[in-house]
Amino acid sequence: MSLRIFVFFAIGLLIFILDIGFNAEQDSKDIYISDQELTSLLSAWKSQVGRPPSDEEIVSIINNFVQEEILYREALLLNLDQEDRIIKRRLAQKITFLKQETIPDDPSEEELERFFEQNKNDYYVPATYSFSHHYFSKESDAKERASKAFNAYQTDGVEIIGDPFFLGKNFYQNTANEIKKNFGELFFLSVENLSINEWSGPHESAFGYHIILLKEVKTGFSPPLEKVLLRVQQDYLSQAQDKAIAEYIDEIRSQYRVIINPEYKF
Amino acid sequence: MNKSFIGLVVVSTIFLIYATGFYTNFQTDSALEIVDFSIDQPEIKNSVPPNPDRIPLYGDLHVHTKYSFDAYIFGVTATPYDAYRYAKGEAIKHPLGFDMKLREPLDFYAVTDHGFYMGMIENYADTTSEMSKNEWTKPMHNLNRPENVTVESTGERANLFSSVLTQAIVKPYPYWHPKLWKAWFTNNIQVALQSFDYDVHKSAWADVANAAEEFNKPGEFTTFIGYEFTTSTDVEGGNLHRNVIFNSSKAPIRPWTRIDSLNPEDLWTWMDGLRDKGVDSLAMPHNSNGSNGQMFEVETFRGNPISIEYAEKRMRNEPVVEMTQVKGTSDTHPLLSPDDEWADFEIMDKRVGSRPPTYSMPQGGYVRDAYLRGLTLEWEGRGNPYKFGLIGSSDTHTGAGAFYEDDYWSKTGVLDGTDMGRGSVPLTEDRIDQLTQYSIDYSQPISTKEIEGRTYADVGFDQWSASGLAVAWAEENTRDSIFQAFKRKETFATTGTRMAVRFFAGFDMESIDMDSEDMVKNAYAKGVTMGADLFSQDNQTPQFLVWAQRDKLGAPLQRVQIIKGWVENASGTPKEKVYDVACSDGLTVDPVTNRCPDNGAKVNINDCSISSDVGASELKTTWVDPDFDPTIKAFYYVRVLENPTCRWSTWDALKAGVKPRPDLHETIQERAWSSPIWFIPESDELDIIPL
Repeated sequence: MSLRIFVFFAIGLLIFILDIGFNAEQDSKDIYISDQELTSLLSAWKSQVGRPPSDEEIVSIINNFVQEEILYREALLLNLDQEDRIIKRRLAQKITFLKQETIPDDPSEEELERFFEQNKNDYYVPATYSFSHHYFSKESDAKERASKAFNAYQTDGVEIIGDPFFLGKNFYQNTANEIKKNFGELFFLSVENLSINEWSGPHESAFGYHIILLKEVKTGFSPPLEKVLLRVQQDYLSQAQDKAIAEYIDEIRSQYRVIINPEYKF
Repeated sequence: MNKSFIGLVVVSTIFLIYATGFYTNFQTDSALEIVDFSIDQPEIKNSVPPNPDRIPLYGDLHVHTKYSFDAYIFGVTATPYDAYRYAKGEAIKHPLGFDMKLREPLDFYAVTDHGFYMGMIENYADTTSEMSKNEWTKPMHNLNRPENVTVESTGERANLFSSVLTQAIVKPYPYWHPKLWKAWFTNNIQVALQSFDYDVHKSAWADVANAAEEFNKPGEFTTFIGYEFTTSTDVEGGNLHRNVIFNSSKAPIRPWTRIDSLNPEDLWTWMDGLRDKGVDSLAMPHNSNGSNGQMFEVETFRGNPISIEYAEKRMRNEPVVEMTQVKGTSDTHPLLSPDDEWADFEIMDKRVGSRPPTYSMPQGGYVRDAYLRGLTLEWEGRGNPYKFGLIGSSDTHTGAGAFYEDDYWSKTGVLDGTDMGRGSVPLTEDRIDQLTQYSIDYSQPISTKEIEGRTYADVGFDQWSASGLAVAWAEENTRDSIFQAFKRKETFATTGTRMAVRFFAGFDMESIDMDSEDMVKNAYAKGVTMGADLFSQDNQTPQFLVWAQRDKLGAPLQRVQIIKGWVENASGTPKEKVYDVACSDGLTVDPVTNRCPDNGAKVNINDCSISSDVGASELKTTWVDPDFDPTIKAFYYVRVLENPTCRWSTWDALKAGVKPRPDLHETIQERAWSSPIWFIPESDELDIIPL
């Protein structure tokens, strides 16, 4: 009876040892590189460098890969992954990604629309103004010269000739902020209230007086959902992901018990 | 077998495995490892085409946040994200609780925390961290919890900064420790220090990079991934600080710091290495004024003579210098330029970080002197390592640059966030007691001084300034467009004012119609602009074209000057001369003195109001050098001066209802400096034997 049990154990032990021996050999010392792996290595290289690798480069790509794999396995054998903060963080990140991916990729149209309505301000496209101007420098009785030139233009069609402006004559699709930056608040207030395609002036700026021709105004607007769909989808997704992670942690947290030394002096 | 022998074998095997394992793992020099920090963002289409005439873009390339070891000690908790929000025009909080806000947003911004120990002090202060278990971190525990960020904590913080930290952080692990081995094998010395946690450091750096990536919006707002390489000479504390910025979302895995090497030449080697791997960067020296003459030395860091190779390497990596910032302006010093009436401007003549404040030698510390030294070195056939362009920046440590004289918070958080702390307003009895107690407790030099019966704080902050900005002439507001402007040196520096200046030189500039809309286009076509070389053409005399525009929110312009420097061919003697070239209010330059007459601009010290009827909104002129000699190599740069306004210290006094401190300048003239244009004579090879 006892002998049978002994033999049973002995055989079991033998199989166990053999298994360890063979498997260890096979598992840890073979590096199998799949076709997909190769394709993705080569295409990654190509996308970074912009051309397919030469034969020599292929050899070094594979060598690098092999070397990394070897070092990785050796490090695992030494348990270097234990209590390593970077690895911990990376794993935490991975499970976060995993949880993020479980969210349905396509939110329903209603959900998207609701999200879009709530965050409409984020997608507002500010107004832009395109204009030309004749500038009369503050240095020499700007206002008077500007008025004279403008009157001559209006009554006799005399071409207006002013001074060159530091930043040029024509401004294309500038936002309110850009105009304020280049000319000052006062000037923007004038531009804002001009009618299109009509010379007008003189208008004061921080630098002198201007006769302005407003050519085009693109009014600010909230674009329809279709126009910013991609951005809205991305924003929705990132918000949904944040929410999902928070929920997941909340849920799982209840299963954990945190133990802190009650005597610890903070 | 003896048990202890087995133990020894086991232990040494483990070390061998550790060592060899790390060796193979890190066989590449890890500071050259490149990480792509880019983040997925919906692409923003920039509908506005690039402007070939270029536009002036204003920015600050020197900003510290809580990740800087000193900023954290100064009570700063602002993150890089807060800093970028500030640059875009949002208000953020000063450590003492008040709002800091720009009157106009900036076009570009770079958070440049000290690379050295980046992120570590916050980690010491965090009592849940591994590091905080060390006894020596105790004085820093919970350092910046709201209740601890007070004016009263100033003394303790100053002490932390000047002594505790330096004593604590230099201790390496013992020789047998695997981390020491790792440091040795990976060429990453900081890892060998007991006070250093590489993971914390790397994640701080990654956060700095991530913030830059998140806020970079081509066409609207530009950011750079960057840091400060905070090195110094090992004797006499000569500051050799420079900031490094990268022109891509790709950057090294960690900053190269003074722990890797104190020698800036090694920084350039590292930058060259990164450039070979496709990551372009540039380094910008700053506070040459506090370098005790070391920043623009006539020999190398190790005391060898400067060579052409050195000059090329330096210029390849350091095309621009930050010549004005909160710790003073480094244009020139009254001792170096006795004939320049505007030389005594925001002079900070102490070595950076010295306690007690120690005099910094002016020779070798100011950019005009450096340009002259560069010409002299070239005259000796050693190449010109000092052919750089000019920018300003703030060097704020609160995340938010202080650019306004009438709304100024200096830079070191709790230490100089109040008028009394800055030394502009007399101390109350309480504050005198605190400062005296601090001197006694920490055996620090006396930090108060008596002036006309009043007691002021005396820690050097009175020499600091509400300065400066970096301005790039770029085709559009994108990272690459601005970066290329720095490389071309098509830049100018301002003291925080948003004035703008164009500067061209050529042999046919007088044919350009100054009143034509195509003036700028023609000037680009017919000449060279700031930062460039002008090569002689048949011994013709060049003409210069300058055009300056005022800051619409600042004071009007008073005059435009061209500063010339040259080295006499026969003797090699350096010379300089300041020419006024355009005056406000229709005044003309006196051809004998080369000066504009006084335009009569005044400041009322009682309320800081300024004359409203004098000064120019723009000044424009062509100029010919009356002393031009086509055989002499020379540099020319523009300085534009505003009408005088109150200095921040006067504003502080006015707001506090006390008299301004009599030993400080009551007013200043805000100004801008262009990068120089260098004139290169036809035959550079002169057969002159130096005696």
